[in-house]
Amino acid sequence: MSARSLIPVAATGLGLAALSHPAVASRIVGALGEAPRRALDVDRLLALTLQHLVLVGTGLALVAILGLGLGILATRARGAALRPAIDALAAGAQAVPPVVVVALALSVLGFGGPPTLLALVAYGVMPLLRGTAGALAAVPREAIAAAEAMGMTRRQILTRVELPLAAPEIVEGLRTALVLAVATAAVGALAGASTLGTPIVAGLQNQNTVPMLQGATATAALAFLGDAALLGLAALVGISRPRT
Amino acid sequence: MITALAGVAALAAVLLGAPLLVIAANRLVPGVPATGWAVLGPALPAILACAALAAGLLATGPGRGVGIAALLLALAAACLLAGSIGSGADARMAGQPPAARAGLGAGAWLAALWFTAAIGLAVRRVRCPGLGPAVAGLLGLGLALGVRAGAFDALSLAVEYAARRETVHTALTEHLGLAGGGLGLAIPAVIALSLWRRGQDLVGLVVGGIQVVPAVALLGALVALTGGLLRLAPALRDLGVSALGPAPAMAGIAAYLMLPLWRGLAAALRAPAPDSLDAARGLGLTRAQILWRLRLPLGAPQLVGALRVATVQALGLATLGALVGAGGLGRIVFDGMAQFAPDLILLGAIPIVALSVAAERVLSALEARMRAGIPA
Repeated sequence: MSARSLIPVAATGLGLAALSHPAVASRIVGALGEAPRRALDVDRLLALTLQHLVLVGTGLALVAILGLGLGILATRARGAALRPAIDALAAGAQAVPPVVVVALALSVLGFGGPPTLLALVAYGVMPLLRGTAGALAAVPREAIAAAEAMGMTRRQILTRVELPLAAPEIVEGLRTALVLAVATAAVGALAGASTLGTPIVAGLQNQNTVPMLQGATATAALAFLGDAALLGLAALVGISRPRT
Repeated sequence: MITALAGVAALAAVLLGAPLLVIAANRLVPGVPATGWAVLGPALPAILACAALAAGLLATGPGRGVGIAALLLALAAACLLAGSIGSGADARMAGQPPAARAGLGAGAWLAALWFTAAIGLAVRRVRCPGLGPAVAGLLGLGLALGVRAGAFDALSLAVEYAARRETVHTALTEHLGLAGGGLGLAIPAVIALSLWRRGQDLVGLVVGGIQVVPAVALLGALVALTGGLLRLAPALRDLGVSALGPAPAMAGIAAYLMLPLWRGLAAALRAPAPDSLDAARGLGLTRAQILWRLRLPLGAPQLVGALRVATVQALGLATLGALVGAGGLGRIVFDGMAQFAPDLILLGAIPIVALSVAAERVLSALEARMRAGIPA
């Protein structure tokens, strides 16, 4: 199931990546009837992609640590008091769009990468946290009782029973967080971070369609390829997708 | 009890230690922080006493009367704090050149957070349905009256607002127009797509795939496409469509709303139990009658739920409309970012967040009422 659904995602990603190549993008814009202007060359595009990836990777690592850690904490007996606060925070985070988070972080942290990273983490933690906490809370009581009867310690129950049972939901949370991270990093261009959003924003400002299209397709390609990579990784370790 | 003590200690630390106001010579230079003692003066002990009493009452027990008393105390302390910050800023700005600014510091935001949590807890303790929205509405009204009466005129947020009152109001209308336009495009599109029974797998794949595309990227691509479309069919220009403006923004917003709406519609149509559908067919109801009398009434909560998710998303996405020249509150946020003026960013961000929260609350209350089977 996982491996099969991965193919269209990866194919879309590769197709979009091909569209971002300067020659292809220039031709498309030409076909749309616009006078071709200077395109971003491959080196510049790759450099921006790398910067985008570094931001997304760092953010996602922080998101994974925070989201999983807090999610586990909130479902332990001691952390039960945290659940309402987490649900309220998650609902609150929904109401604040990523652009606004970046803008507000900008006034605290200044221009560049840091506000984008902060927004990326603040925004990405919530879906993962909620997914983790929800999935761990939904682990059947019988499974835990059986593990206790077998003499497993709390730590063993967590790593051998609860987390494997919750894994599909956690992967879904990570996928959402990844897509949000790629999008937020692109928005970060507004705060002066150098990412694939930079040519889009610059292109929109001075009506230069070719780099705009290149940035847009490359950003979308990154989101699809990252999603495919996560799906592939999950399939590799034997996590099937949850039935919806 | 320990939680209450910790809460009071935290508030005291915030009011005494964190900057309530930041005073600057103009809106670009970093300011000098002013803490609670300096800003609030004699009001500080009164605020702390009221807040501590409220926290203590909340800790004593689950009684309803206790909740009401705590709510009143917390509200009084919050109003006193807001008023004192306003007059404190006024005192500091008196005799200063007009470029000088008194911005709200971290302490003011943290204190606002504290009082929001305390009032929320107290409202929950009173257990009276409808009290939460009533208190929120009352606080909003009080704040609006305070602004109108000039209680906060010295705060830089109010100064920015006074300087761009018209811009803010236009931006608000544009924002609502963009979000509404997106919804208006997405709803018929989703209904049409749902009618194509055999293509639902493909529709799901495409509609889900759109969610993966970052909004900035989709808007950029849409601007390029609209530009091309206009060159192929210049007649569209007469209809008011342009490559930069509301058209690509609304199309982009609508694209993202299709997934929640499509899922909600599918769930709503599946809502009646198969037995009831069999019974309806047995009674000789036509498909149209089954749709109108059975599927839609029973699926109404799912429909409202989908509309809630889509509306909140639309209000958030409309912020990006400013990127493609469609205006909206995002323009104020982007102006603030470009000028590095935090208060200008807030001036755009606060209405965006308020609109989303209000839409969320209203529609989820409607959804809950429908689920409970009470006709709304």
